[in-house]
Amino acid sequence: MARRWLDYKTGAWVQWCPGCGDFGILNSIYGALAELDIDPTNLVVVGGIGCSSRSVYYIKGNNVHTIHGRAIPIASGIKLANPELTVIVTGGDGDLLGIGGGHFTALGRRNIDIAIFIYDNAVYGLTKGQAGPTLPLWARTKALAYPNIQGSVNPLLLAFAAGYTFIARGYAYHVNQLKGLVKAAIQHKGSAVVDILQPCPTYNDFMTQEWYEKRIYYLNEEDPTWDPVIRSPEDMKVKAPRILEKMLETGDRIPLGIFFQDLTKDTMEERLEKAMPGYLRTPPAKRPIDVKGRITLHPFKIFKDKLLET
Amino acid sequence: MTRLTIDLSIIIGGPQGGGVESAGQIALKVFTLKGYNIIGTREYHSNIMGAHSYFHIRASSDTPRALRLPVDSLVAIDAESVLTHVNDVAKGSIVVYDVGSINQDASTLAPMEHSLKKRLEKMFSERGARPTVGEAIKLLEERGARTLDLPLKELLRKVSEETGSPLASIARTVNIMGLSAALYALGVEFPYIVKAVEAQFGKRPKILAPNIAAARIAVEYTHEKYGARNPLPDGPHKGRVRMIVTGNEVVAMAKIVGGLTFESFYPITPSSDEAHYIEENKYLDVGDVFRDVGLDKLSIVTLQTEDEIAAIGMALGAALTGARASTTTSGPGFSLMNEFISMAVEAEIPIVISLWMRAGPSTGIATRTGQQDLLHAIFSGHGDTPKIVVASGDHVEAFYDAIKAMNWAEKFQIPVIHLLDKYLASTSVSLDEWDVDPSLVEIDRGKRVYGPVKDYKRYEITEDGVSPIAPLGFNTMIINSLEHDEYGFVSEDPIDREAMVLKRVRKVETISKSIPETEKALLHGDPDAKVTIVSFGSTKQAILSAMEELYREGVKVNFLQVRVLSPFPRDLVSKVLAGAEKIVGVEANATGQLSFLIRAHTGYSVGHVIQKLNARPLYDIDVVYGVKRIIESGVERVVVNSGS
Ligand SMILES: Cc1ncc(C[n+]2csc(CCOP(=O)(O)OP(=O)(O)O)c2C)c(N)n1
Ligand SMILES: [Mg+2]
Repeated sequence: MARRWLDYKTGAWVQWCPGCGDFGILNSIYGALAELDIDPTNLVVVGGIGCSSRSVYYIKGNNVHTIHGRAIPIASGIKLANPELTVIVTGGDGDLLGIGGGHFTALGRRNIDIAIFIYDNAVYGLTKGQAGPTLPLWARTKALAYPNIQGSVNPLLLAFAAGYTFIARGYAYHVNQLKGLVKAAIQHKGSAVVDILQPCPTYNDFMTQEWYEKRIYYLNEEDPTWDPVIRSPEDMKVKAPRILEKMLETGDRIPLGIFFQDLTKDTMEERLEKAMPGYLRTPPAKRPIDVKGRITLHPFKIFKDKLLET
Repeated sequence: MTRLTIDLSIIIGGPQGGGVESAGQIALKVFTLKGYNIIGTREYHSNIMGAHSYFHIRASSDTPRALRLPVDSLVAIDAESVLTHVNDVAKGSIVVYDVGSINQDASTLAPMEHSLKKRLEKMFSERGARPTVGEAIKLLEERGARTLDLPLKELLRKVSEETGSPLASIARTVNIMGLSAALYALGVEFPYIVKAVEAQFGKRPKILAPNIAAARIAVEYTHEKYGARNPLPDGPHKGRVRMIVTGNEVVAMAKIVGGLTFESFYPITPSSDEAHYIEENKYLDVGDVFRDVGLDKLSIVTLQTEDEIAAIGMALGAALTGARASTTTSGPGFSLMNEFISMAVEAEIPIVISLWMRAGPSTGIATRTGQQDLLHAIFSGHGDTPKIVVASGDHVEAFYDAIKAMNWAEKFQIPVIHLLDKYLASTSVSLDEWDVDPSLVEIDRGKRVYGPVKDYKRYEITEDGVSPIAPLGFNTMIINSLEHDEYGFVSEDPIDREAMVLKRVRKVETISKSIPETEKALLHGDPDAKVTIVSFGSTKQAILSAMEELYREGVKVNFLQVRVLSPFPRDLVSKVLAGAEKIVGVEANATGQLSFLIRAHTGYSVGHVIQKLNARPLYDIDVVYGVKRIIESGVERVVVNSGS
């Protein structure tokens, strides 16, 4: 029996402000999980700290509410220790690209099979609206005493440079389209990121619903031949310039959709299996470590490089 | 029946990256092959090449507890080694040096520390001389050393001619020459040197041949110039298989046999070598030990992360899935881990952190030892964060502690910090099969439940504070760094909050009750002694050795070694201190961190302290000197400072 989105909803009161873009994102995740028929007991949602990170309470799973900026290391440890789990990360722009930016970059290099959903409202919601790392230079939102004097990071380009193998951008109020992107990200084998533009009606009075909806458009609607999939090194050479051009497009027009999907790279789990055949069958979570509580390995039997016969 | 006690100490000095490390290892092997127990440590600068480093070893027919100064032989084939160690040499010792270095003056030695140059200038100017190798040798001879001058340039040319290897490629063999000359002069037969060199370079024949030639040429030269020596008798430990292992390695071994399946780390001295040894052995052939479960290879995921925050974060993630996980670091990295330690307490995640202390604060002296992170470890993590801190006194303790730490972490679902230091990290000892017998420890994973549980409460309130722990993947649940209810769901409710704080704190009592007293603290020596030394960690063996010396001199002291520092064994420590007339703390930190803890927990003041602050290992002579000063003068603090 297939699952329905309600099967993923917990009884918890969803405590976001009325009109928050996070609701749309949550609904897209519910829908994607249901369509993928993922068993909640096999699902792990890892959140950092922020309004967005509280998604861990609203989705049924084996969820972890971690500390600010550190969802990715926890998620990585979980996935490498038990690759059978479906692991997703929900967090804010501040969490994932600000304080946790180093981990965000490192995950791309590893290509662990984890999907990252950035709830990108360009502000620090939970701490009352300070500038987030994606807030444009000179923008002044209502919590700021003066316009922003720090520039913004481009999450897609950062992800591309870091080596993520699935890079997409969605919009929080387009629940249906976003569901498709969330689904594709979870299905993708490797590190996937979806940067989700999310109006914050409480604190971001600059990047409002109206502001976004004047600018956004879908890559595959503008260009029905849009093909972000890389199947070979040649593909990369041919397609990369156009992909980067689209990632760089900002200002009056903001493209949405899948920008890049690289199918040529091993996941870290596959790399580990290559280095240590058998890893996937008995990953750290499952490997026996004792025989009925006894330790049966003796250092003198296994670390022969340190032995000397006198 | 009297048995001849042999007890030899050697320092082998030279520029970093120039082969001193191999020479030291070879020396350890020579004496182990001869049937002696050994201990040897490496002292080096935070530098890759060129700065002065040295290997200090001791071989004994008894168990050499700690390093000993002054030494019986100094192998100083460069000028900096002669001058640096001019005061480390005993009367009657053998000093090997290079004739070619004789005119070198301290002032011209670029890598030498400026302050040392000044001290040498002063010391030699008092003799009306310059600090040159020649003058140092003269001084050593006056003090009763036997000096052995090797014409290294000439001997090296001979090696090159004999082996056909170009001079440049065999430059490092000068260390082997110096060492071989010293060993021969100490009475070691040449075949032992060959065997040790083979054991060291066995797999690399291109290196082996010139080194053996170098050893032989040096021995021949020594023989011709100084004649035959009385052979060194064989020691009592011949005819069996022994292990030579560093502290880093022995902890890695313990983790591996103790069931570690995941270690994430970020490189930092002196912890890296532990992680590297695990990495080297991450895919182990184990024969049929696990045949029943269909395994013939054991795999361990080892991962170098982007920083220490990720290192502990990944290990915590792995632990949540049920993996035995740990990380390893030193002070600076541990600072970065603080927030996650706090999360491990709040979210009740088992984790072992091996904390190899080095000399701080900040980057301090990255490659030297100290005990400055005791309070940092105990008070790590914001909020009320009960945890276990255990400090090992030597290699054997470190082995068992590392396994027990993994058990405790899982049993009490708490962070366990295993306190070690640079001295243990880079000190090698010889061990026997029975010294590291993991069958003496059982694997205990605590209240673990596999499979689905009806109405599962991850943070169920229990009497002992410990809840049944289900790995991710069987139920639905929330693991939470925020305050929560029994299900893990976030809660700011005052009743929930109080209950959870008390639940976590109750673990302290549970831990105190379940760890045997003998594992928490140990009283060494005569319980009735008037003077009680209190200390923790790697000072143990130097203190035990000093106690023997003090005993010979008629000074009776005992020694309370505190092993588990958190939860603090209050009653046990109080009981011992109640009977002490004089309490002497021995610590390698300036703030008296153990004294502070003792005072805080027991009310007893540690009236006197012996502190080692020069970032060098603690020697028994330091302790002997300190205790005698305190007894004679009643002084509160003695700062001891041997070591170069
Ligand atoms: C180490 C640390 N520093 C600061 C904070 C305070 N803090 C909580 S949430 C947050 C920012 C949240 O912004 P973002 O990640 O963009 O999430 P949002 O609330 O916008 O969804 C900050 C700074 C913290 N919890 N931990
Ligand atoms: Mg935000």
